[in-house]
Amino acid sequence: MKIEMTNIKKSFGNNEVLKSISLTINGGEIYALLGENGAGKSTLMNILGGIHQADEGAIMIDGETAQLHNPVQSQEAGIAFIHQELNLINDLPVYENMFLGREPKTKRGSLDLEKMLHETEEMFKKMNIQLDPRKMVGDLDSSYKQTIEICRAMMTNASVIIMDEPTTSLTDSEIERVFEMMKTLKSHNVGLIFISHKLQEVKRICDRYAVLRDGVLVSEGSVPDVTTDDLARFMVGHDVRTEPLAKERNLGKEVLRVEELTHHPFFRNINFSVKQGEVVGVTGLLGDGRSELFQSIFGADDISSGKIYIDGEEVKNNSTIKAINKGIAYLPRNRKENAIIQDMDILENSSIATWPKFSKAGIINNEWHLKKFEDLKKTLRIKMQDPTDSILSLSGGNQQKVVLAKWLATDPKILILDNPTQGVDVGAKEDIYDIILKLADENIAVIVLSSEASEIIRVCDRSLVMYQGVIQGELIGKEMSDHSIMNLATGGELAEERSEK
Amino acid sequence: MGNEGTAKRSFIQWYKNKWHNDPLFSIFVALIVMVILQTLVLGFDYDSFDGWFESWTSNWINILRNNAGIGIVALGMTFVIMTGGIDLAVGATLVATGAFAMMLIDIGERGLLGLMGVTGVPAIALALVLVLLFGYLLGALIGITITKGMVPPFIATLGAMMIYRSVTQQTMQGYNPQVPTEFLQISGFQIGDLMIMPIIYWLIIAAILYYVSKRTIFGRQIIAVGSNERAARLSGINVDRVKLHVYALMGLLVSIAAIIQVSRVGAMDVSGAGRGMEMDAIAAAVVGGTSMMGGRGFILGTVYGMLIIGVLNNLLNLFGAPPLLSDAFKGFIVIVAILLQRKGKIT
Ligand SMILES: Nc1ncnc2c1ncn2[C@@H]1O[C@H](COP(=O)(O)OP(=O)(O)OP(=O)(O)O)[C@@H](O)[C@H]1O
Ligand SMILES: [Mg+2]
Repeated sequence: MKIEMTNIKKSFGNNEVLKSISLTINGGEIYALLGENGAGKSTLMNILGGIHQADEGAIMIDGETAQLHNPVQSQEAGIAFIHQELNLINDLPVYENMFLGREPKTKRGSLDLEKMLHETEEMFKKMNIQLDPRKMVGDLDSSYKQTIEICRAMMTNASVIIMDEPTTSLTDSEIERVFEMMKTLKSHNVGLIFISHKLQEVKRICDRYAVLRDGVLVSEGSVPDVTTDDLARFMVGHDVRTEPLAKERNLGKEVLRVEELTHHPFFRNINFSVKQGEVVGVTGLLGDGRSELFQSIFGADDISSGKIYIDGEEVKNNSTIKAINKGIAYLPRNRKENAIIQDMDILENSSIATWPKFSKAGIINNEWHLKKFEDLKKTLRIKMQDPTDSILSLSGGNQQKVVLAKWLATDPKILILDNPTQGVDVGAKEDIYDIILKLADENIAVIVLSSEASEIIRVCDRSLVMYQGVIQGELIGKEMSDHSIMNLATGGELAEERSEK
Repeated sequence: MGNEGTAKRSFIQWYKNKWHNDPLFSIFVALIVMVILQTLVLGFDYDSFDGWFESWTSNWINILRNNAGIGIVALGMTFVIMTGGIDLAVGATLVATGAFAMMLIDIGERGLLGLMGVTGVPAIALALVLVLLFGYLLGALIGITITKGMVPPFIATLGAMMIYRSVTQQTMQGYNPQVPTEFLQISGFQIGDLMIMPIIYWLIIAAILYYVSKRTIFGRQIIAVGSNERAARLSGINVDRVKLHVYALMGLLVSIAAIIQVSRVGAMDVSGAGRGMEMDAIAAAVVGGTSMMGGRGFILGTVYGMLIIGVLNNLLNLFGAPPLLSDAFKGFIVIVAILLQRKGKIT
């Protein structure tokens, strides 16, 4: 199948988001759609997916004008869409989610649950996913959810699959399996549109690329002809820094220590401590329990046993409010479910955590919050119109920056960042790394949870690698490498790692 | 043409924009349309403008006064619904607090305050405080059941509804308290020669709650909790505390409505009063743009919603529509209001 989009224009109010874009996507190729946060990638794909209507322009499928007025028409035209934000029904089991909107029926007209379950199991086997399809989606971690979304789209027999940042929550080995599937689909002449800010991935898997900047197509070509640095430059308009970051710092006293912390079945016997001015990475694969661990430390979840010390003092009856008052900030992963409050505007989403601190007699100090937000907006380069616009009017990466702004505004002593650069573009990623290192210089302890080994290696002084709920090992400084992290994350031993050296 | 044409076009543009982006706008337009209709129905068959105006205002004062109590309850219901909850117990809380008020101030021999030797104005002042406290407490009990007991709001308030009303009925069986005339001044006090105290209470409470919802931590936290509870908790909001306070506030507002009602008629029929009140309050909130899914709600919208329902009842009266059909029209209005808002929603 061949899709041609010609002279597509789209505005939201006065905000001209797409300025006459023309693209052609062929069957049997993987097409990378690149661009900074807010460049218009998702908007363009939403038009192809029938979610938004173009103001001007035409879409042709196999030479015929296509009418894509709603998502159903788009699906019927053979287009499957993996959205940037998760779109699963939490109260249904995995296998029913896999068939949402195209449920198979038995002869008597009821849902064919057997068939759904069976086909889901087959799919998971092919993808090498250890997950019981009968589980409720609501009980799953975001990386499982993302995997489910990908499998779901791949099962639809679509001729074109749009993948809007499908790998933001995944770790390398899962990404590997997704790539295998993509290659298989490609060989079956399926066209794939792949949006990602991870340029290495693009370089590895994609055939052609297009770069959008401020709603204009600025570059298009064949992926083998360019380097990742080239792509980065096309996106942001200048060279993106690649040199290593300076990390010389004096560490202060210990601010966080946990002893034998356990919460069944997520993590057990966790011991570590973090000092002022330290940047500590925590990484691992799917099901390693790192998010659950830090949610418990932040007071959002219970613990079964063990102790948490902040500034040498044991914390009991922990709660998120208590944690914030003690100077802990926790930016959760999966912003849509854990951070974005849809019914509030941008400013409120960025200030909710500081309302109690900057208020008088229960009345929120709006001026303070607005001023603070304007500062952070500049530092983080958030692309937006008005602070009182809905948070949903922002692009995914810019929503992420707003959530980050919210936690930076709390002036934390311990900053825990869980997948902080989810959906953030290459240039903005470097901005965030700079902020992390600057905070560390100011004696703040920063803990970075990430599934990207490269991110951990780039900003952290040392890294804890988790495997199935325990800390499998700690890597310090130069010991951190893709190889050593992967080894520990898959259950390898630190000793053999060291003896190899 | 020229000028006039562009002016007209820009008005249409403005109107369309408002209609699509301002959720309160369509409700307000609906209200205006109904008021115009009502004015037309009242007619202009008067000797003088003054005569017409007097009749028009007195009709309006009637509408407002009749709806003040339930209008106050609907404001609290708006907050409850915004947290993603519902309160079916408002009618029962109304009779419980109303009965409590009457028991306190009764000038017969069983009056509680009288027995303790407190009489006259101090008794009334003390009674007011105690009734408000009692309402707050009844609401808080529901709140605790929902948060600590983790009972769904529908079930918790359904249970409370039955308990509160039946205990009240049992307590008040064969008891006819006499309300002192001073107490009747709470609603009956006249400004000029207008009996508008209930309306004033309603407006003051609406103004306060409007401010609370817009500017205070509590007001904004209600939205956060209703919109995304998990994100709210992860942002350091004590979700249980917010919910508890919302139900307690609901109880407090109901007790104010009860005081207004008792002081208007000097009595309360504990088996009949407040029946269906929860549905009217929910209807007013929903017509006013509050989403039953939680998160989205407007205090001002609820005031409009209440007025729309009030004017509707008034219209049906004026038309002489069969009283049994009035609920049918109310139901119709609720559904139409939702359809209108669907159209006005930004996608
Ligand atoms: N529903 C909407 N209402 C108003 N503005 C919108 C809406 N959706 C997107 N925009 C605006 O359109 C622009 C492009 O957004 P889009 O989501 O397409 O960016 P993107 O390229 O996908 O970015 P990211 O990499 O961050 O996901 C942004 O400036 C955004 O604020
Ligand atoms: Mg996007």
